[in-house]
Order: sequence, then C-alpha cells, then structure tokens
Amino acid sequence: MTAPMTNNSEIVAEFKDFRKSFGSKEVHKGVSFQLKKGECLGLLGGSGQGKSVILRSLIGLEKPDSGQVLIEGQDIVPMNEEQLIEIRKKVAYVFQNGALFDSMSVYENLAYPLRAHTNMQEDEIRQRIRELLAEFGLSGNEQVSPAALSGGMQKRVGLARSIIMQPKIVLYDEPTAGLDPYNTIRIQEMILRLKAKGVSAIFVTHDMPSAFAVCDRIALLFEGRIQAVGTREQLEQQPDSKLTRFVRGLEV
Amino acid sequence: MIADFATSIGARMLTVARATGSYGLLFSSVIREFPKRPFYFKLTVEQIYHIGIKSIGIVFVTAFSTGMVMALQFGLGLEKFGGKLYVPKIVSLSIVREIAPVFCSLMLAARVGAGIASELGSMTVTQQIDAIRALGTSPIKRVVIPRILACLIAVPLLAAIGNFIGIAGALIVGVSELGLDPMFFVQKVLTTVVITDFVTGCLKTFFFAFFISVTSCYFGLNVKGGTQGVGNATRAAVVTSSIMILIGDFFLTKAFFLMFEK
Ligand SMILES: Nc1ncnc2c1ncn2[C@@H]1O[C@H](COP(=O)(O)OP(=O)(O)OP(=O)(O)O)[C@@H](O)[C@H]1O
Ligand SMILES: [Mg+2]
Repeated sequence: MTAPMTNNSEIVAEFKDFRKSFGSKEVHKGVSFQLKKGECLGLLGGSGQGKSVILRSLIGLEKPDSGQVLIEGQDIVPMNEEQLIEIRKKVAYVFQNGALFDSMSVYENLAYPLRAHTNMQEDEIRQRIRELLAEFGLSGNEQVSPAALSGGMQKRVGLARSIIMQPKIVLYDEPTAGLDPYNTIRIQEMILRLKAKGVSAIFVTHDMPSAFAVCDRIALLFEGRIQAVGTREQLEQQPDSKLTRFVRGLEV
Repeated sequence: MIADFATSIGARMLTVARATGSYGLLFSSVIREFPKRPFYFKLTVEQIYHIGIKSIGIVFVTAFSTGMVMALQFGLGLEKFGGKLYVPKIVSLSIVREIAPVFCSLMLAARVGAGIASELGSMTVTQQIDAIRALGTSPIKRVVIPRILACLIAVPLLAAIGNFIGIAGALIVGVSELGLDPMFFVQKVLTTVVITDFVTGCLKTFFFAFFISVTSCYFGLNVKGGTQGVGNATRAAVVTSSIMILIGDFFLTKAFFLMFEK
C-alpha cells in the first residue's frame, strides 16, 4: 500500500510556524511541516481548516502574517511577484476547480505555460498537448471552449495545464473531488506516475481511498495546527489515533 | 448615537483611504511593469477591437443626437433675438471643446468600464487571475496593460470621430430646421474652430481614458464575495470613473486654459 520512502530525505518544501488570520479569524496558528524529495504528502483536514491557503502560500499567492515558507531552502515570503516567477515554474498548483481561462480553447489553455516560458515550436507544442490530452482521456477536445466541458473534464484539463511544464513539486487541491470512480483511478495512476519520475507532491483531499493509494505520509491539519504526521501505519497505531477518528467522521 | 455615527464615518474614511492606497499600488505596478518584456501586442490589438471598434456605434449615436439637439436648442433660442446665424459658431465650439469629449467619454465609461470591470471581476472570482499568477505570468502585463493601452488609443480617436459626427448632426438640423445655408454653416465652423480647440478636447480624453481603464481594472481585480461582488464592482467602476471624468474635466479645462490661452 504505502510505497517505501526514499532514503534520500532531502527537504524540498517546508512550512515553519506559519500563522495567518482572515479578519478576526485566526486560521493558521503555527503550521509546520516538511515535504521530502520524491514523496507524496497527504494533507487532510476538515472543510475550512485552511488547506487551500497552505497550498496557495507555497507559490506565493497568499502571504502569511508571520512564519516562513521555504522552497528548496529559499524563503519565498519576502519575494515579490517577479521573483516568484522562478518558484512558480518549479511548483505547480492544481486549482480546486480547474481555473481554466474561459476566453481560450482547451488547446490554448494548455499551450499557455509553454508559450510563456519556453521557445517551443508550434508543432512541438501540438505534439505535447496531444500526448497529454490522450493521457487524461481528453483526446479530440482541443478546440472546445472550457465552458462546454463537464466539471470533471475541466478539472482534468486544469491538472494537465499545471503539469505541462514538468514541475518539481505539484500541489493537488482535491483533484479527485467530483470525479467518477474510473477517472479517480486514472488521476491516482497519473499522480503515481509523476511520483515515479521523482516529482514531490502535496495532496489535499477528502477522498480517503485516494489518499491511502498515493500518499507516503499523511499530515492532519486541525484547529490551525498539524496535529499528527507520519505514514498511515504509524498514525493508525497511535493510541486514540487522530487519523482513525478523522476517517470515521469523529471529532479529532 | 453620535459616537456610532462618528465610528461609521471613520470606518468609511478608512475604507476609502485603503482603496486609494491599493489604487495607487495598482498604478505603480502598471508603471513598473510597462517597460518590461514580454509585450503582449496581440492582446492589445484584440482589446482595441473590443473597446474601440465595437464602440463606434454608441459614439455615433451619442455625438449625432447631442449635435442635433444643441443646434435645435440654440437655433430656437437665438431666433427670437435674430441670432440664428451664430448657431454654427456656438454649437461647433461647444461640441469640440466640451460636449463630444465629455459625453463620448461618459458613454464609454459605461460601456467599456462595465465591460472591463465585469470581465476582470469574473476572472477574479473564478480564480483565473490567480491561475495567471500561478502559471508564472503577470495579470498586470497580460490583462491590465493591454486594456489601458487600448483605452488610451481608442477613446481619443473615438472622441475625435465624435467631434465630426456631432457637427454633422448640428449641420443637418441647421439646414433642415433652421433654414441655414450648408456652405455658410461649414465655412463658419472652419473659421471658428481652431486647432487648439480640437487638440485640448482630445487631450482631455487621454486623461478620461486613463480614468476609465485604471478604475475599472482596479474594481475588477478587487472583487470580493462571488458573483454579487462582480455586480457591485461593475457599478462602482462605472460610477467612479464617470465622477472622475466630470470632476477631472473642470480641472483639465482650467489647466488647458492657463497653458494655451494666456
Ligand atoms: N480570501 C479570503 N478571505 C477571507 N477568508 C478566507 C479567504 N481565504 C480563505 N479564507 C478563510 O480561511 C479558511 C480556510 O480556507 P481554505 O479555503 O484554505 O479551506 P480548506 O481547508 O481548503 O477547505 P475545503 O476543504 O472546503 O476546500 C476558511 O475558513 C475561509 O473562510
Ligand atoms: Mg480548499
């Protein structure tokens, strides 16, 4: 079940005492965790606990009130938008709802990052997009407008767009929510394939089977802090396991 | 009671101050990113089409009907004093100096401003603006600057066209309703309107174009609270840019007066 961890425990991303409030609501009260190279870290927690904000902060879309966010040892909190571009080429964020550009076709959406950051020729771009769409079971939808796709298809196009630049770290925000079982398995396989290539990932989800299928370690976010982190076995063996309570729908 | 009132005024002033601050921030990032590569030439041309070409109709209607109404009002008013012959002079001057630039800009504030604010607003709530950033590109460069440039190019041109259309409207009414000779009308216009009238009128619209584009981008990018927020932002963009045009017009007129006509 849980893939063996690579011994190489180089840290590619780290949260250090991350605190953030929205208005008077203190959402993060000192979140700390580490993401190791090549691992897939599951981030679980109830709705509204601040998981999306954590992912957004890893590419500088949100700034903490205090604390550090390190990507490959570099603190990205003080970086400006221009400095963040290099970070965003390495770290991909898969939006919860796809966030496709609705003024562009599926093809143009997928070509967008390639056009922005590479000098690829149009036929190379076309080739790459064709392969990627086939991989996601979306062949033949190149010229369709995102608005004409189902929610699940939009999500998959969004996922394809995020990884087309071959990032080192991928942040998945509920990539399987709203997908049918067939496509859920396809996404799991895709995440495992990327992991086999050495891509590190944080996987936010409420879908336990997927979490257990792809994650090496799991972190539980509750009440503004990481309450427990470890492999599934480690967490389940803890006395009064928080993971077990969470999975059973009990209060953590 | 009075304390409540004071607090609410204070809170309001704080909101306005904060908004002014982030408006300034948007403005400064536009200035900072403007000279940097990449330049999205194609996106700018697209916007010129959407903002400029597609607005010709509304500018035509606005200028033509105000020109006609002005000729009629002045004609009927001045006829009692035998001043009908002054109609070409008065009407063409007011059209070129004030009416065409201001009315066309106000109509464009409604059409273009609402369009920009609601489009950027929807992009904000559907996280498309975040996606532009997440993919390592800049919404200022891709979205804001092309719209500002397109407005700076299109609005003055449209207002210039509006000048001619407005005078044409006045000419038609002058001839058909007031019985003026068309040649006399045209000749009077040509001897009255000098190049500074035309230039100052168009120069104003550069500023108006700026007010419209920056304001509506600002409100669009700062939408809070879903679809309802988009509606609020659109309304705020149109109202704010119209007010900026009306107030700005006074000061610009004054400034140009001091500069050009000592
Ligand atoms: N831009 C914002 N303005 C105000 N509050 C916000 C904002 N973004 C997030 N929040 C608040 O922060 C909290 C965490 O939000 P977040 O979206 O990270 O939750 P989540 O854990 O991803 O939930 P879900 O599982 O439902 O996606 C929420 O309570 C939300 O109200
Ligand atoms: Mg979320």
